[in-house]
Amino acid sequence: MKRLLGVALGVLTAIGGFLDIGDLVTNAVVGSRFGLSLAWVVVVGVVGICLFAQMSGRVAAVSGRATFEIIRERLGPRAAGANLAASFLINVLTLTAEVGGIALALQLASSVEPRLWVPVAALAVWFVLWRVKFSIMENVTGLVGLTLVVFAVALFKLGPDWGDLAQQAMTLAPTSTETWPTYWYYAIALFGAAMTPYEVFFFSSGAVEEKWTAKDVGQSRLNVLIGFPFGGVLSIAIAACAAVVFLPQAIEVDSLSQIVLPVALAGGKLALAVVIVGIVAATFGAALETSLSSGYTLAQFLGWSWGKFRRPTQAARFHLTMIVALLIGVAILMTSVDPVKVTEFSVVFSAIALPLTYLPILVVANDPEYMGKHVNGRATNALAMVYLVIILVASLAAIPLMIATGAGS
Amino acid sequence: MILSDLLDTPVTDADGTRVGYVIDVRFVLDGPPDGLLAAPRLHGLLVSPRTGTSFLGYERSGVRSPAFLARWFAWRHRGTFLVHWTDVASVADGRVDLAADHRRWSPTLTGSTTER
Repeated sequence: MKRLLGVALGVLTAIGGFLDIGDLVTNAVVGSRFGLSLAWVVVVGVVGICLFAQMSGRVAAVSGRATFEIIRERLGPRAAGANLAASFLINVLTLTAEVGGIALALQLASSVEPRLWVPVAALAVWFVLWRVKFSIMENVTGLVGLTLVVFAVALFKLGPDWGDLAQQAMTLAPTSTETWPTYWYYAIALFGAAMTPYEVFFFSSGAVEEKWTAKDVGQSRLNVLIGFPFGGVLSIAIAACAAVVFLPQAIEVDSLSQIVLPVALAGGKLALAVVIVGIVAATFGAALETSLSSGYTLAQFLGWSWGKFRRPTQAARFHLTMIVALLIGVAILMTSVDPVKVTEFSVVFSAIALPLTYLPILVVANDPEYMGKHVNGRATNALAMVYLVIILVASLAAIPLMIATGAGS
Repeated sequence: MILSDLLDTPVTDADGTRVGYVIDVRFVLDGPPDGLLAAPRLHGLLVSPRTGTSFLGYERSGVRSPAFLARWFAWRHRGTFLVHWTDVASVADGRVDLAADHRRWSPTLTGSTTER
């Protein structure tokens, strides 16, 4: 019974933890501009993150080594250093977007200017990182984040023309007002939103934090393989809500208030309150995860002691890194930059940096010296190679498309 | 000397012919890894004839999967060998010179991996 509860809790937190500001913004923007014609990318992204998280979780559980320790060990100091620089920067960018997301959600609830909320949000994130136990932090934000199910409920209450939505999902082409380059640019953005590198740093380091062993591989696989696809369904529901409300009016989503508008239309004030709670939980949880990831990557690369299972005094540089990363995020947000824009860039840069972390994990997951009998099977490797190609193509195409489309505008 | 002095450095043999680049170094521990006297000893250099990029550890064992990646790296680093540190004549000016009678060893780690 206890085991069953453990599995249920793991799956539920995986669903709630899947969505972050990147998924919210990108799916709503894409829904409002392309309808459901890019929904297939969410499916591709979810299968990809399942594969990747499952591999890195297994590597961490069996070998006790987190992702960046492996990158440092396998790529050698120089390539790994470049990798660290890229991963760390993108991670801070994502962290900035998440803290901005908390502030925007709190603005919706309070009408107080987001820049006043930013320091408060960052302070709250830091406090949780400093004081709260890893498992509690993870479970609470994940479970509260589940309230984003309200997007799926809202979609039903909006009473859309299901045939029309299905038609959109089957049409793998841009709507008449959009061009092919923008279509592919947003395809990469959606892919990057589903497969953000920080999720993998966090997932593998979290496995070490929670002291997983080879015995826990089965449970982690269940969490991922059930939780993430449900998260993907919620992503598509967000896009569908935007497609129903905004696409016919040709309104492009560019703020958080628009993202939640379909929910408010369908369910009134109560639904709006629920969705705001959900967004705060999802962005807060992701802000914790990205802050931790910045500490994990740097500490693992440089061989510092790391982890929330240690007291802050025993992992001082790890905690200092997280504080500095948070302060950088706050400083960026204080320039009045639009967090929604930051988010749009962060998901594309995530897609660009993805091969850097994917390749070392794939190689190590095949090495019996680390993995013993838990090496990748043939089927996993076949799928992993397909994804290596997809990830490489997305990474290489992102910058040219960004320039060609003026970042999707 | 630090590791960066060696990595990526061109390697030449006694006649001055370039034989490759240092891609990694290998250490041995003479005792258990804890305690003050267990400092690792530099055993040798891994030299790849064509490139200074990483071999991602494929040189250490007979790992053959994922097949495509393993083949690609094996091809890119074909002819990689290990030279013992005692066979290195000098390290200077961003160049590693090997002794005239140096011997090329297989880069594979013996007695590791798959047997476990």
